[in-house]
Amino acid sequence: MHDMNRPEIRATRPDPGPAEGEAQDLAFLLAQVARGDHQAFEGVYGQLAGPVYGVVRQVLRDPAQSEEVAQEVLLEVWRSASRFDPARGSGVAWVLTMAHRRAVDRVRSETAGSRREQKVASEAVTEYDDVADTVETSLEGQRARRCLDSLTDLQGESIKLAYYGGYSYPEVAQLLGVALGTVKTRIRDGLIRMRDCMGVMA
Amino acid sequence: MKALPDNMHVLSGSYALDALDAQERAEFERHLQHCPSCQAEVRGLRETAARLAIARAARPPARLEQRVLAATYRTRQLPPLTGARLRWDLRRTRVAQLFAGWLAAGQSRPDSSQASRSDRSRGNGWSNSWLRSPRLVGAVAAASVVAAVGLGITQVSTQHQLDSAQARSAAIAKVLDAPDARIEATSAPAGGAVTVVVSALQREAVVTTRGMPALSTSRVYQVWVMSSAGARSVGLLASTDHIGQLLASGVRSGDQIGITVEPSGGSTRPTTTPVATVPLTT
Repeated sequence: MHDMNRPEIRATRPDPGPAEGEAQDLAFLLAQVARGDHQAFEGVYGQLAGPVYGVVRQVLRDPAQSEEVAQEVLLEVWRSASRFDPARGSGVAWVLTMAHRRAVDRVRSETAGSRREQKVASEAVTEYDDVADTVETSLEGQRARRCLDSLTDLQGESIKLAYYGGYSYPEVAQLLGVALGTVKTRIRDGLIRMRDCMGVMA
Repeated sequence: MKALPDNMHVLSGSYALDALDAQERAEFERHLQHCPSCQAEVRGLRETAARLAIARAARPPARLEQRVLAATYRTRQLPPLTGARLRWDLRRTRVAQLFAGWLAAGQSRPDSSQASRSDRSRGNGWSNSWLRSPRLVGAVAAASVVAAVGLGITQVSTQHQLDSAQARSAAIAKVLDAPDARIEATSAPAGGAVTVVVSALQREAVVTTRGMPALSTSRVYQVWVMSSAGARSVGLLASTDHIGQLLASGVRSGDQIGITVEPSGGSTRPTTTPVATVPLTT
């Protein structure tokens, strides 16, 4: 009876994105997971554990903490698979949005302490591609890097600090020494440019 | 509201990268509800952000897989959202953050007390539409969660207490969920804020206080249902709790919720002038 309430996977999705075949599979797997299919969940894990762990660690840096947050996120995928709506975006985006937000929330909840201040000071100019044992990058990942490199310096820096650094846009503005309004616009313009560069459709 | 959309629209990128603080995030999400073009843009930018994550994929420790898979066997899954439940859940998520901000800020929402006052002056009835505003009802629902969490930490120690706390939370949730639930908010002149959610159908009211001034150990706040027939005690609130919550049963329109300072242990009838009163208007 409950199954009936779940929207069927649509044959044509509004956001095909670059890896259409894979994303289709993921949407299908997530629908199976929502019905309690553990094997389907292993498939989801196989596709997403790398990006989830990677992005969480990129933001948090601390491996133990990253592992903990990645575990929470992946379990949350199991728990809330029934809430995934393929009409509102791809499964990849659903899961990775959750992962990034969870990591950022973890960072912000620590902001009250001075720990964060010290980090801002010492890591301000860290390059964001120095995390070790990055998985053999997929074609899609390579394309994303190329597109990121094609942005203007300010666009690219703003996006990296915000997404990989987990900084809020006012923090990004402070770190780059530019006006708030400038950062807001550069982040948006840069992302739109990346979107077009990668052929993501909305 | 007029100048907002343009400014708001620029935030789509920062929103997609989780670079907004909680308050701006909530504001932007409210804006999104009414801006289909923003929704489409955010969708595309989210997909783009996901590619940024894919570009940083890293091999997790092997034990992670075992742990996660094992945990799935111990974890119940959420049911799908359907119909009314879907809308209600969306509302709750939307307001939870707002209300969390309200609680943390330690100041009353000026618009809510104002609106409630003007509603009273117009003499509107139980079913006043503003007062059924899902935003505020949801907000108080969030408050009851906050309060329940507080209870869990500070007061509940035995299973018996836990059970009665749970029963009370359920009763409170029932009022908050009532189709005719309406809200009255006021701030106490000496500090603190009081919110009352009342259901005329259930004849029950949930009284939530926030940030009432601390009292000496020999004093407590006592909550009353006051009517022309006299005052009936609802219960006591420890002044040390930032958030307090009580359920008042058998209320009728025309009654008032009053809060007085009483000797510890409470009184059988109010012995001081109320620090706050909230009329349950007719």
